[in-house]
Amino acid sequence: MAKVTVNGIEVEVDPSYTILKAAEKAGISIPTFCYHPRMDPAGSCRICAVELEDSKRVVMSCVTPVADGMRVLTESPKIHDARKTNLELLLLHHPLDCPVCDCGGECPLQNMSFAYGATESRFESHRNDEAEDLKSDVLVFNANRCILCGKCVRICDEIQDVHAIGFINRGFDTIIGPPLGKKLDCEFCGDCLEVCPTGAITDHFVRYKFRPWQLEQHQTTCTYCASGCQMQVETENESIVRVTSKEGLGPNEGSICVVGRFGFNHVQTPQRFDTPYMRVEHRLVPSSWDEVLPELASRLNAIRRKGTDRVAGLLSSRVSLEDAYAFQTFFRRVLRSNMIDTGARYGFMNAAIPLVEATGTLRPLVDHEDLLKAKVILLVGADPVAESNITGLFLKRAARKNRAKLYVVDSEAITLSTRASDHIRIHPGGESLFVGVLSEEISSRGNLSAEWLTRKEELFKNWNVDPGVFQRLVNDLKSAETGIVVTGRKMFRNENASRSMINMMRLIGSLGWIEKEGCGILPIPETANDLGVLMMGATHEWLPGLLDARNESSRKQWENAWGTSLSYGPGGGLEQILQGIEEGRINALITIGENPIGHFPPGSRVREILGKLELIVALDMFQNELVDMAHFVLPASSSFERAGHFVSIEGFVQKSVSTMAHWGESLPDWEILEKISYAMGNPMGFDSSEKLMAEIVRFLPDLSPSTRNGEHFVGGTGDIHLVKPLDSCGFANASDVKGVGGLSLLKASGSTPHKANRESVSSRFRSWTEMSRPIMNATSGIPGEGEFIFSMSKSLFHSGKMTLQDPNLKKIQPEGKLRINRQTARKRKIKKGEKITLTSAHGRCSFVVEPSPMVSEFELVFPEHFADAQVLALFPPEMAFSPMTGTPTTHRIRVSLSTETIS
Amino acid sequence: MTLKSLVKSVLFTEIMQGLKLTFTHMFKKKITVQYPHQKLELADGYRGFIVHRRYENGQERCVGCDLCEAICPAKAIRVVGDIHPEFPERRFAKEYTLDFTRCIFCGFCVVACPVNALSMTKEYAHSSFTREGLIYSKDQLLTLGDKCESESIAYLKVRNMWGAEDSGKDEGRYHFPPISATQSGG
Repeated sequence: MAKVTVNGIEVEVDPSYTILKAAEKAGISIPTFCYHPRMDPAGSCRICAVELEDSKRVVMSCVTPVADGMRVLTESPKIHDARKTNLELLLLHHPLDCPVCDCGGECPLQNMSFAYGATESRFESHRNDEAEDLKSDVLVFNANRCILCGKCVRICDEIQDVHAIGFINRGFDTIIGPPLGKKLDCEFCGDCLEVCPTGAITDHFVRYKFRPWQLEQHQTTCTYCASGCQMQVETENESIVRVTSKEGLGPNEGSICVVGRFGFNHVQTPQRFDTPYMRVEHRLVPSSWDEVLPELASRLNAIRRKGTDRVAGLLSSRVSLEDAYAFQTFFRRVLRSNMIDTGARYGFMNAAIPLVEATGTLRPLVDHEDLLKAKVILLVGADPVAESNITGLFLKRAARKNRAKLYVVDSEAITLSTRASDHIRIHPGGESLFVGVLSEEISSRGNLSAEWLTRKEELFKNWNVDPGVFQRLVNDLKSAETGIVVTGRKMFRNENASRSMINMMRLIGSLGWIEKEGCGILPIPETANDLGVLMMGATHEWLPGLLDARNESSRKQWENAWGTSLSYGPGGGLEQILQGIEEGRINALITIGENPIGHFPPGSRVREILGKLELIVALDMFQNELVDMAHFVLPASSSFERAGHFVSIEGFVQKSVSTMAHWGESLPDWEILEKISYAMGNPMGFDSSEKLMAEIVRFLPDLSPSTRNGEHFVGGTGDIHLVKPLDSCGFANASDVKGVGGLSLLKASGSTPHKANRESVSSRFRSWTEMSRPIMNATSGIPGEGEFIFSMSKSLFHSGKMTLQDPNLKKIQPEGKLRINRQTARKRKIKKGEKITLTSAHGRCSFVVEPSPMVSEFELVFPEHFADAQVLALFPPEMAFSPMTGTPTTHRIRVSLSTETIS
Repeated sequence: MTLKSLVKSVLFTEIMQGLKLTFTHMFKKKITVQYPHQKLELADGYRGFIVHRRYENGQERCVGCDLCEAICPAKAIRVVGDIHPEFPERRFAKEYTLDFTRCIFCGFCVVACPVNALSMTKEYAHSSFTREGLIYSKDQLLTLGDKCESESIAYLKVRNMWGAEDSGKDEGRYHFPPISATQSGG
């Protein structure tokens, strides 16, 4: 330890500290432009100058390491002069166009010039007069305002690992921009925009539309993916102007992805429903809550009287815990139905059921911090950068800065492949086989049966994978101190996903990673609250707290908790719902932000099946196929307009606050359900989202809001406040009431309340994994001669179909393009932007092509967000569901390619 | 009662003294103005209605920087900025509303304006039968500005705000040349 005296305050710090960090510890702040806590220091702005008392020298505090006995002055006449001179030099070229600069008012350079009185320069020079670079659709580069601190270049390089911008030219002519004067083409995370200390980088979407002092800031949680980023939604007159982040705050530590930063405008577009609609004589007519509710209630009551399980419900997994809890209460308690399902069924359920079976919890074993400590990371069937951007950032950091061995197993090259120590390129859909072989290899301790050995050799030959790389992976996994398996969407949407997940559990079980701290599996949920809605029991399998819904004793537990008797039927998921509707056992369907028609090929008759329903109620924000059929369309509030809690990929329960007024007459989903139940004469009794959350926490104390550092980020205007204690919400002290399903969520230890309790997981784990055996005859994903595998991916620039309504994100990615291997395209003489036609056994569809070096030569990849009925027509009309998890199983299809276009 | 005070009260000295002032005024020049038939000559620094100004080529000066809104103590000004429809690199005020029912005519906005787009005039008698009639849009402010151009220039000059950029030199604090068809960028 080194003793340093800063302005007379003595602090003891690690010798690796810089003076700046030591001063920070002493509670003294030193002005900086180019320093960024998450990046290596650059020492380019020369503003953080401090004086060493003994040698009387002026040094840069951000790059100078401390020495024992060092005495530092951060404010002295000498330092004042040094900083002022520096500012004058910086202002030589900087145009004083603050009044029209978007940064004016929140500009560190402006503040510093003001503080040091350096508004006029003693030096003579010309002001830069470069024209602004307006080429990009997202960012505007103004070279005149740039002070060349290099923060943007460094954050793009060190944190985002994208390398999209750099220094161009040298000396006085240096500017920042994308290479070769081209249009910026990157992940558009906007981190450079966030860190820029001047107005050199601004964005097109809010350009000149605001001034910082007009805005009101709301600290909230992003609700697109499960990363659980903390962001600041800035509003003016109840409408959202922009989204920013605060350095170091939340799991994202100040970075947010393109969707979080720019995808806020769809909630304030005129297409949104602003009033309830009712179908009168085959036409949806605008109505009011007072008219709609009694009519809807009487029709629901009539159907409810027919018996149990008469009404089915589909819930989007983007809703908050409160909504999910109200949803299942409404169905189980009010409608006596267990025919409920969530959007997680389309994919994440394949991970959730094996996870709950194997570990008893959906709380993750590892979090982002563990990724940084891991020595080996195996990434199978996931593209974390697109699916959960912040997890992607942590993986980049782990592989790049912490030198973790990253093995990527994927059919196409993903962003992280460049940082991988090895990329095992399997064939499309081969994830399940790979995991099968790997788990068999590891659990048999290298003594593979002859049958498996031949299968393995055959596979690797087919895939053209070097067995040596596989052996290296096996050895690394076995010898790793700490290791983590990360998996995601591609895995969940594999034909044998649930079996593969079991194999993965078996794999980490036989590696001994269940017992070992810092090891485990990290499945990336597909949407913001996949984990939360499942924990809230919004599927037919589980009651809140992941208790078995068909188990008599767990039903009793909740009956006691709620003080009512529950008389729902056996229920069912998506498959049973569609079946039940077709057979006439289900008469009504209530959907919340879900549109089953959009998920199945047009030939699958989902539309016809749903047409048999007596009553369809759609709670949605935008028009879609289901809304066109619905008898009642109720306007739902977006997550920007209401408060709610979300469970992040790391298991944190974080609050998203209301940042703008409800759009028109829209209401939160829970409130709509409450109003319907009230009109039905059987009110659930939820009168505010706070009380609703208080009830959840009272019964399931594990779900109390949690964050990494213990404090809770709750809205307000920019500040972080501690969450109100729950007992002030009208309930008895939460700790007095015994939790109901708490046990099955497996309460974690005090220090890591978000993670699963390793002891209880491991005690349960061993007994279960024995029953799993990998499947040998799964498809290896090799298409025939001249054929391709058509598959759908998640785009980085969209989240579900909702963001297709967003003007900002639509500008960034306006249409879905079919990505094809570059060599294949060249061979077939297909050029970028051309139209080609794909033909499968079931249909044909034409696409605009985009050759890409990332895609494998066997695959054609299309972003799922743009998959409309025409695209889905390629898939077989028969609906196939996984027997174990009830998820729809067709996600890939063999297609042939032709350059002719369909008329 | 002394003799002195007795004399004072008998001879009405105090009243005479008071009336003396009255009578002297009878012989002085009258200063009462028969408003509205007669109007006073106002000083150049008079803080009357606020107006928007234009450059010589007719282009409005306002860049929508919102500094006037920020400084306004009465919160009478509202500015909505946006990208100029013709020049994508320029900021302009898409909406500009000045609520004269709230305005306290302090003149801070004129001081804050970096491009001298605002000035004050000798107009003080704008009245309306509705409150809305006193909430002026940018167009109304510009029209008023055109009408009172010489007054607004005189105000800026007398208040020492007739800066470098107005006299044509480029060395000023900000560099906002008038937007003309031949000129862009900067």
